[in-house]
Order: sequence, then C-alpha cells, then structure tokens
Amino acid sequence: MRSNHKWGKVYLAVVFVILYMPIVYLIYYSFNSGGTMHDFEGVTLDWYKEVLHDTRLWIIVLNTITIALLSSAISTILGVMGALAIYYVKSWRMKQILLMLNNVLIVSPDVIIGASFLILFTMIGIQLGFTSVLLSHIAFSVPIVVLMVLPKLQEMSSTLIDAARDLGANQWDVLTKVVLPYITPGIFAGFFMALTYSLDDFAVTFFVTGNGFSTLSVEIYSRARQGISLSINALSALLFLLTIALVIGYYFISQKSAVSGMGGRRR
Amino acid sequence: MEKEAIIRFERVTKIYDGQVVLDDISFDIERGKFYTLLGPSGCGKTTILRLIAGFTEPTEGTIYFHGKPVNHIPANKRQVNTVFQDYALFPHLNVFENVAFGLRIKKKKQAEIREKVMEALRFVNLEGYENRSVQEMSGGQRQRVAIARAIVNEPEVLLLDEPLSALDLKLRTEMQYELRELQRRLGITFIFVTHDQEEALAMSDQIFVLNKGKIQQSGTPKEIYDEPVNRFVADFIGESNILRGVMLKDYLVEFAGKRFMCVDKGFRPNEPVDVVIRPEDLQITTRAQGKLQVRVDSQLFRGVHYELCCYDEDGNEWLVHSTKKAEVGEEIGLYFDPEAIHVMRISEEDGEKIDEN
Ligand SMILES: Nc1ncnc2c1ncn2[C@@H]1O[C@H](COP(=O)(O)OP(=O)(O)O)[C@@H](O)[C@H]1O
Ligand SMILES: [Mg+2]
Repeated sequence: MRSNHKWGKVYLAVVFVILYMPIVYLIYYSFNSGGTMHDFEGVTLDWYKEVLHDTRLWIIVLNTITIALLSSAISTILGVMGALAIYYVKSWRMKQILLMLNNVLIVSPDVIIGASFLILFTMIGIQLGFTSVLLSHIAFSVPIVVLMVLPKLQEMSSTLIDAARDLGANQWDVLTKVVLPYITPGIFAGFFMALTYSLDDFAVTFFVTGNGFSTLSVEIYSRARQGISLSINALSALLFLLTIALVIGYYFISQKSAVSGMGGRRR
Repeated sequence: MEKEAIIRFERVTKIYDGQVVLDDISFDIERGKFYTLLGPSGCGKTTILRLIAGFTEPTEGTIYFHGKPVNHIPANKRQVNTVFQDYALFPHLNVFENVAFGLRIKKKKQAEIREKVMEALRFVNLEGYENRSVQEMSGGQRQRVAIARAIVNEPEVLLLDEPLSALDLKLRTEMQYELRELQRRLGITFIFVTHDQEEALAMSDQIFVLNKGKIQQSGTPKEIYDEPVNRFVADFIGESNILRGVMLKDYLVEFAGKRFMCVDKGFRPNEPVDVVIRPEDLQITTRAQGKLQVRVDSQLFRGVHYELCCYDEDGNEWLVHSTKKAEVGEEIGLYFDPEAIHVMRISEEDGEKIDEN
C-alpha cells in the first residue's frame, strides 16, 4: 500500500518532467545569445527586446486578445441561453438530442470545424478576417459554455423556483434573481474555458483567417516555418507566463465563488 | 355555511400521467384556523398544497379563494405562502435577503423592508442572524428562516409541507409548540402537512385524514380520535383493537363471539361492522369480572404504562395499555364501558382489504 503510493508519486513526477521538458528547453534557449537551439553561448535579453519592438507582433497580440474576449463574452451569453433552453425543454427525448448535438460539436476535430467554416464563409460571401475568425471562435465556444453551465442548472432543486414564484416572482424575476445567481460559478467557468480555447486555438483560425489578419498561434506557426529565430522562443516564454497567470487567476476566482457558494460569510 | 371560507375545493380531481392522485375532493378552509392534512406518504398531501399554492392546476373541479375561482391564477399572484419540505432557501442570499425576497419583488421601500424583515426574524427567534449565510444554519434554524420568509409577506394562508420531518425528536416537539403559538399570534390560517398522527392530534383545530387521494374523515382531533369513521382512520390515528362484528340492533353489538351493550345506533339490523376499542379503554381485572377473557402473550414497559399483548379464545389480538402489571402467560379478564366501544360502517375499500387477507 505504502510503496504503491511512492511509485505513484515517482510516476507522476516523471510524467510532469516529460510534459514540461520541451517548454523549459524552449524558455532556456530564449536567453541564448548564440542564436541557435543547441549551443548555449551566453545569457542575453536581446530576443525579448526584439519581441518588444516588433509592432506587427503587438497588433497581432491585440487581435488575439480582442477575439478571445469578444468571442468568450458572446459565447457565454449564447451558451447560458442554450443551457437554459435545454434545461427548460420538457420532452426527455428532445433534451437528449440537443445535448448530443452539443457534445458532437465539442468532440469533433478542429480541422473539420475549420474546414467547414471555411466552406460556409466562402459560400455566403463573408470576407475572411476578423469577422470570420470571431464567428468561428464563438461557434466552437458555445458548446463548451453549455457543458459548463448545464450541470449547475441540473443540480439546482426545482423547489427553489417554486419558492421564488410562491414569493411573487414572475418568470423574469425567477431567472434574474434565482437561476442566474445560482449558476454564476458555472458561467464563470464557462467564460474562462471559452477564453482559453479561443486564445490557443490554431487549427480553426488557420482555416478561416485571411487578408493579413492573424492571431498569435497562427503567426508563430508561420514564423517558425520561415526559419529559426529565438525571438519565437522569447514570445513563447511570455505566453507561457501569461497562461500561468490566467490559471492562477481562475483558481482564485473559483475558490472565492466556491467559498461564498458553500458557506462563506457574506457581509 | 356559517363562516366565510377562504379556500374551497369543489370536487377537485388531479391526475398525473393517468394516475389518479386526488379523487373528487371537496373541503372548506376557514379563516384563522390550524388545519392539518394527515395521511401516509404518497396519499396526495403535497399535491393539495401545490394546488392551493398554484404550482399546478386541477384536472377537474374548481378551487375558490374568497368565492372566486382561481384555477388558472399563477402562484405569484396568490395570497398564500409556502414553507417547503426541503425549506428551499436561496443559497446565494444571506438570511436577511432570503426573508426580504418577497418584499423586494413587491418593490417595497428599503426602510419598510428592513423593519418587516427584522420583525419576522424576531417572530421566529432569529434576531442577530440576519447576516449569516443560510448554509451555516442548522436544520432547525433554516426552517425558521423559511417560516420567516413566508410570514413576512403577510399571507392569508400559510402552507407548511412536513416542516418538522427533518428535525430530531426534541427539536420537533419544541417546534410543534412554537408553530401553534405562532399561528395564534398571527391569527392567519395554517395548513400543515404531516404523516405523524401524534403531531396532527397535538397541533390542529381541524384534521383531514387522507388516504389514496380521498379524504377519509375531517374533524377535530378529538372527533377523529374518538370516533374514527372507518378502519383506516382508526388504524392510522393510533394503536387500536379493530375487529369485525355485527350490529344486531341499536345499542347491541356482537363481536369476539359475545354480545355487548354499546352507545351506537342507526345501523341496519344485523349489519356487518368494524368495532374499535382503544387500548387505554381496556382495564385488567379477574377472569370472572372481565367482559372478555384473554391470556397475556407479552408485555412491554412504556414509561407511563404497560403495553400488553393478549389473545382471546378465538385468537383475536387485544392490545391493552394499563398502569397495572400482569404476568406473561397469566389468564386475565378485560373490562370496558359501553362507551369504549366504537362501531364503524365498513367502507368498500376495507372490504377489498379483507378479501386480500
Ligand atoms: N409532478 C408529478 N408528476 C407525476 N406524479 C406525481 C407528481 N407529483 C406527485 N405525483 C404522484 O402523486 C402521488 C401523491 O404525491 P404527493 O402529493 O407528493 O404525496 P404526499 O405528499 O402525500 O406524500 C404520488 O404517487 C406521486 O408519485
Ligand atoms: Mg409530500
């Protein structure tokens, strides 16, 4: 029993080392003055300077963040509405069908989603660029939000709604004063999931972007193909830091809402 | 009808998925009384409350409030409030905001809300708890919050769905007193649901005994206890000796192979009947003096009395509550007054039950 425990820990450690090794390797060489990824000659911050002075890159960063925030905000609204619709549908069969359609969208490969959006946009004549990327990000985020919100709705006791109606609440009051506050943790979780999915999406964006519009992942990919420059390493290191910051931020927010949802004192 | 009824059920039937849950029920609810719906689990008590509150509509029949039909009036437009079985407090709101919910919906002024909520919390002895989260409260406290949340809206009728069933025995007895007292102070109508007959007897002005979607009997606790109308009520409302018998003529009934004087009349000659004698109405005496001769099969000490289980020569079981002790295996006599015999008509349903046995 005890030794099982120990081996489990060793196994976990090995897995984590393997998973994080490439990232650490990449970040390590972003400080290399030698300009290659095999001979470390000396420590330099030149690559970071290059990144900081690259205006095109900063526009792309801005694009990426704009797309991420917009698409996750819109898809949170749509996803909450979708989850409510699924929750309120009376027929069991209809509910299952809607859920299945939702889940299919989540598991289907990005390549297929990207390709089908490309076909759709060219067919209906939407210019590839900001709009097409935004629309497709919203499309793949909505099912994620639905999936995060629905369990909160389902765990809510239906007498809570009865109680609100009993106290004089109309449908709108029930929604805004009882249901939405109750599922708020799920809404936050959905928003952050959508945000991260949008930030690091490559495949779908790669298909539907065009006219010079680009996001970070696509940009890094095309630069990496052009030839090795350690500024890409520097950029990746910065992104990695940002991701960690986001994860920690999310952790604190969800901790706080969990506490206030489960017995934290409110003043 | 002497008094004006606040609520009236007229031939109300409720069918869920082809299952008849309430079967042609009619009754009146008057102002300012404590009513109890008593019956085993699944007999339709909650359904009656849900119909009154407006969460569901009758399949047939009409519900009246102050003489006006309200079948299609939604719950949020009715002057009743409910204390739910699971309390249904809003977990995202603190105690104050839970209680204030109804007043905020009605867009009352902040000062008025504050005053009324504090008063309601005082009523249920929860002063000083207004900033607590409801998750921090114990079962008994949550229940008080639920009551405060309902009464703060000054309903004409308060519906309580088994509010005490989740509490432990001591707290439960305490809350029985408190609820009864609360009803007196507020002067509004309470409709209280329980499956516990002692609770019903202790608290109510009027009891409706329900079984299988039908009202078996309605009356004061004393009427229900002393004069159950059928075997089900007699059995459900406390331990009883219930036997088949024959009403030979007025004031004369035959059961357990003997003829007895009684105080009941108005039956057909030789009509088959059910006979009830409460265990506390049987007294232990000698064989010679007893109206019945039985052998003591077992005996339990119950604190205030001994509970004896005896059998007569025909094999009928007799439950006796006595302050006197007997010996197991002893042959004793049982004495009772003619008033202790209660004769009941046999209902159709009971007839079926006998056939099954
Ligand atoms: N919404 C519903 N849908 C279907 N059947 C229901 C519903 N509510 C209650 N019932 C059925 O009605 C019967 C009576 O239920 P209820 O009124 O809750 O009983 P009680 O409160 O006396 O235990 C039960 O058999 C229950 O299964
Ligand atoms: Mg019930």
